[in-house]
Amino acid sequence: MSSQSEAPVLRATKLVREFYGFRAVNNLDIEIMEGHIHALIGPNGAGKTTVFNLLTKTIPPTSGNIFLRGRDITRMPAADVARQGLVRSFQISAIFPSLTVLENVVVALQRPAGLATQLWRSRRALNPLYGRAEELIDSVGLSAWATRQAGELPYGRKRALEIATTLALSPDVLLLDEPMAGMGREDIDDMVELIRKVAKGKTVVMVEHNLGVVSRLCDRVTVLARGETLAEGTYADVSADPRVREAYMGNGHA
Amino acid sequence: MPVAANSKVIWGSNMFSYPIQLIMGQLLIGVINGAFYAVLSLGLAVIFGLLRVINFAHGAQYMLGAVTAWLLLRYLGIGYWPALVLAPAIVGLLAFVIERLLLRRIYNLDHLYGLLLTFGLALIIEGSMRHWLGAAGKPYAPPALLTGVWNFGIVIVPIYRAFIVSAALVVCLAVWLLIEKTKIGSYLRAATENASLVETFGVNVPILLSATYVLGAMLAAFAGVLAAPIYQVSPLMGSHLIIIVFAVVVAGGMGSIMGAVVTGFALGILEGLTKVFYPQASTVVIFLVMALVLLFRPAGLFGRDVAASTAAPALATAGKLSRKALVPIAVIAALFLLAAPFFIYPTFATRLLCFALFACAFNLLIGYVGLLSFGHAAFFGGSAYITAHALKIWGFPPEVAILAGVVLASAIGFIFGILAIRRQGIYFAMITLALGQMVYFCFLQAPFAGGEDGIQAVPRGMLFGMIDLYHPFALYYSVLAIVGLALAATWRILNSPFGSILGAVRDNELRAVSLGYHVHRYKLGAFVISAALAGLAGSLKVITVQIASLTDVTWQMSGEVVLMTLLGGMGTFFGPAVGAAVITVIEHYLAGFTVPAPVVTGGLFVICVLVFRRGIVGEIIMLLRIRGGSKTQAKDAATSPVHV
Repeated sequence: MSSQSEAPVLRATKLVREFYGFRAVNNLDIEIMEGHIHALIGPNGAGKTTVFNLLTKTIPPTSGNIFLRGRDITRMPAADVARQGLVRSFQISAIFPSLTVLENVVVALQRPAGLATQLWRSRRALNPLYGRAEELIDSVGLSAWATRQAGELPYGRKRALEIATTLALSPDVLLLDEPMAGMGREDIDDMVELIRKVAKGKTVVMVEHNLGVVSRLCDRVTVLARGETLAEGTYADVSADPRVREAYMGNGHA
Repeated sequence: MPVAANSKVIWGSNMFSYPIQLIMGQLLIGVINGAFYAVLSLGLAVIFGLLRVINFAHGAQYMLGAVTAWLLLRYLGIGYWPALVLAPAIVGLLAFVIERLLLRRIYNLDHLYGLLLTFGLALIIEGSMRHWLGAAGKPYAPPALLTGVWNFGIVIVPIYRAFIVSAALVVCLAVWLLIEKTKIGSYLRAATENASLVETFGVNVPILLSATYVLGAMLAAFAGVLAAPIYQVSPLMGSHLIIIVFAVVVAGGMGSIMGAVVTGFALGILEGLTKVFYPQASTVVIFLVMALVLLFRPAGLFGRDVAASTAAPALATAGKLSRKALVPIAVIAALFLLAAPFFIYPTFATRLLCFALFACAFNLLIGYVGLLSFGHAAFFGGSAYITAHALKIWGFPPEVAILAGVVLASAIGFIFGILAIRRQGIYFAMITLALGQMVYFCFLQAPFAGGEDGIQAVPRGMLFGMIDLYHPFALYYSVLAIVGLALAATWRILNSPFGSILGAVRDNELRAVSLGYHVHRYKLGAFVISAALAGLAGSLKVITVQIASLTDVTWQMSGEVVLMTLLGGMGTFFGPAVGAAVITVIEHYLAGFTVPAPVVTGGLFVICVLVFRRGIVGEIIMLLRIRGGSKTQAKDAATSPVHV
């Protein structure tokens, strides 16, 4: 695995989230180290996606604090969190279906390039962004689909497109919500390679059910159960932990 | 209104100098109004909970309840007590037919279509009743058993009014028990969460849907019968009420039955008390409360958190044609527009242009941002009033008067936008509708607006000091130039870097946020631009027809522009203009026809929603694409998950 410093890039303390009295996340402390690929795993209903939504500020925490590089982002709007370099993907592939594949990526490039609010200029002002967009699309293997409507892409390609748009922001912390969900075996191998490739020099947090993928990719694993941390460590550590085995009993290892 | 006159005299003194009788009297009226708000918003909430349809026809069903009771008495001699059961049953039967034949077909479409369909139904029902019975109110006596009053000294309570409040409370309680405590109710609640799952348990969900709609409509009709003896029975009694009830529902939140009931009563009482302390505000106080609630608690007082939906309602897709097909069409259209005043009456042609611009302004939101505004008359009519006043009283030259109108429309648009933009889809439509109604009441009361007469005989003046707008041709070509420039600006905005972000926001709002875009600001920007353009259309219309009147600010006008856009083709650039022309021409020729205009308009709504969602231009684009042999494109449109 790549060289890792020991500073947490993303940290949450005493994180709580309640839904109508139900505590989905209960006093959770978590630290994500710079340069790691960090997996959140756990049985269904463990609160993985909620934690994920809290970390990206998609939903606000009931209490607790979240720090990005030591800066408190607990009350920061989601759009601003994205501007700080923390960018997420979604479980249901998040693309702009009526735009073409290239346009999807261009939309992501527009804001950093300062080309998002001009309403008097022609769309031709965006032409300089297309070169970079093509590179990104190439890097996820979508060149052949560049001018197709994103809504028509097959499932696996949509996920790849989503990664390309996420990368367009050159984030240094990437949160991937079940990037393998609903994929066939071959697509999964491609996606593992893609994540390994894009993770170079970045920090990645991923929710993942496929433990095979977790064991191949991740430096560190946090196991959640009932909104709390059950175990944390390398994949070998946590998979040997009897409490983890108990929590997963019946769910089966991949 | 004697009460209003009364309180004006004592205005300015402290609260204790208000006669206690006055306060108690208005409090009583408030409780009674609150009872109606409660029962009606309960019915809306029950229907919305399961069907996800905002039943615009609710007001019409309330009116039908009252009218049926009146008809039963008048033609069959059936009195109040049987009517209290019979009228809701008859209206329920009609609701059953509506649900089976019409609503059923649109459940799998965007929820906004439900609002549009029931809006059309409301127009048909109200228009035909008005045609048949006339607009005048008809008296209906309360039952003999309940006549008379109780005199409590500080307040005199007519027994019938006490009965209304208790009947409303009993009905609300019964519905609450039905839904919370019975087996049917538990099916209903379960189906609200997950209909297909409940169906696999062997529950007949289609029947549940019908029953729910019938129940909601019967509640409305029951309220209508209750109302018959105290308000006059009139075909228009429901259309005023329904928008207030929308505001109540938005303020209370759709979350719970208790919420609907409590908010209904509370806002009724608040409205009554406002009549004592500041009567001028009594018509708008509920809308103001709604606005405040939206600012501080967007989900409503009893509503659950606003969950951001993953995909914004993709009501419309922009129809795109290749440049090759576009150029000849544009040339033909331009030639037609240039030659039009030579074979169409020029002032009429100018009016067409104004409505075309209005519809295009509206389409900017629905077609390219996915927001259905039901309050665009506020911008159109508000601007019309200001322009008229500026021309007539201030003596401004037309270009300055137009500018004044556009500035005002943008300002109203900004306020509407701030309040509404955080909500999506159906809520956005209801909020803009309620805010539009608030603006209507403001103009109804503003002294300068001239009440029911409006501002008449508005001078046209000299554009830029040299073009005499009294000359019909000069007027036509001036307006054509302005509308042309406005549309060119719209085209540029839609095809700008800003426009491409708008498209992304429409496609997937959450994703746009996660890419770092403050989507509310983009939507607000689009909303203000749309309001400004609608205002421009209103200003031009005033200069053309030389009258600014309440018609321009009514919800019917907001509905009209929705229909123009729907008929022409949502999300197509020129469709709304075509729709505007078609509707204006139809209404022009219908003026001397026996079928009342609202019935035709309503019928067109229903037809468009059910079978013609692409609109005229949308259908033409489809045809051209298929003929043009660009097979992939045609296939795209056919298989794409978005409709229209």
